[in-house]
Amino acid sequence: MTLQILLSISAVLFAFGLAAVLSRSNAIMVLIGIELMIGAANLNFIAFWRFSENPSDLAGVMFAIFSIAVAAAEAAVGLAIIILVQRRIRSVEVDDASNLKG
Amino acid sequence: MKIIGEWFVLLPAAVLLLAAGASVVMRNLIHAALCLTLSFIALGIVFIALGAEFVGFVQLLVYVGAVAMLIVFAILLTRPDRLTKSGTPFSGLGPAGGAATGFAALVVLLAFIFSSPLAKKPLPAPASAPVAAIGGALMGNDVVALIVIGVLLTAALVGAAVLAMEDKP
Repeated sequence: MTLQILLSISAVLFAFGLAAVLSRSNAIMVLIGIELMIGAANLNFIAFWRFSENPSDLAGVMFAIFSIAVAAAEAAVGLAIIILVQRRIRSVEVDDASNLKG
Repeated sequence: MKIIGEWFVLLPAAVLLLAAGASVVMRNLIHAALCLTLSFIALGIVFIALGAEFVGFVQLLVYVGAVAMLIVFAILLTRPDRLTKSGTPFSGLGPAGGAATGFAALVVLLAFIFSSPLAKKPLPAPASAPVAAIGGALMGNDVVALIVIGVLLTAALVGAAVLAMEDKP
């Protein structure tokens, strides 16, 4: 196994997330796409840590732990915003939230 | 790494990609959330197989235990199946546009990955991240980051509760 395989897996995961964010109409599916992209980034952190010259430095592991914590905060705030939007406009479709459209 | 050890990474990685792809194309939101949960579990197993056991268990606890539950609760609270007006699960770029953009990003990323000399490195000796060392780093070098992340999490969760709270009459 080389670093290429892990980075390729992570790139495919990121592409799935990007496609979900750009093409799905439900705001919750957009959030799921963001979570997939964050997972790809975490996989990269761990892969680079595993293949680094000095794994006992733990830099990649620390980055991954803090990234997971930030992702948890992001998911909580994002879902709260989705629930608020649903209460305001009775819809979670991203196309329906168009109050600022000219 | 031995052959068996390699499969211990590649097999969950295959499950991870299958589940992630399924969750992107699922029409039913609950099914998409369950596929996402499966991909989170597979990602945690990949972390554990790569030697980052602590990150793997944090991934399982935080994502499978908390984030997946949050997403399922949000789906149940918003009941999108009743509210969908357009009747299609796609908008914006549409399924073709989304797939094309994702594929273009994938091609660019793979081109960089396979042209990099760094990526051809063979697997070094098995590495591990012992919990004691992680705790030492969290209380030593990275203590400022730990405190900042604590403040961030508190502020984010209080903010989320305020946002989602029903308006008082």
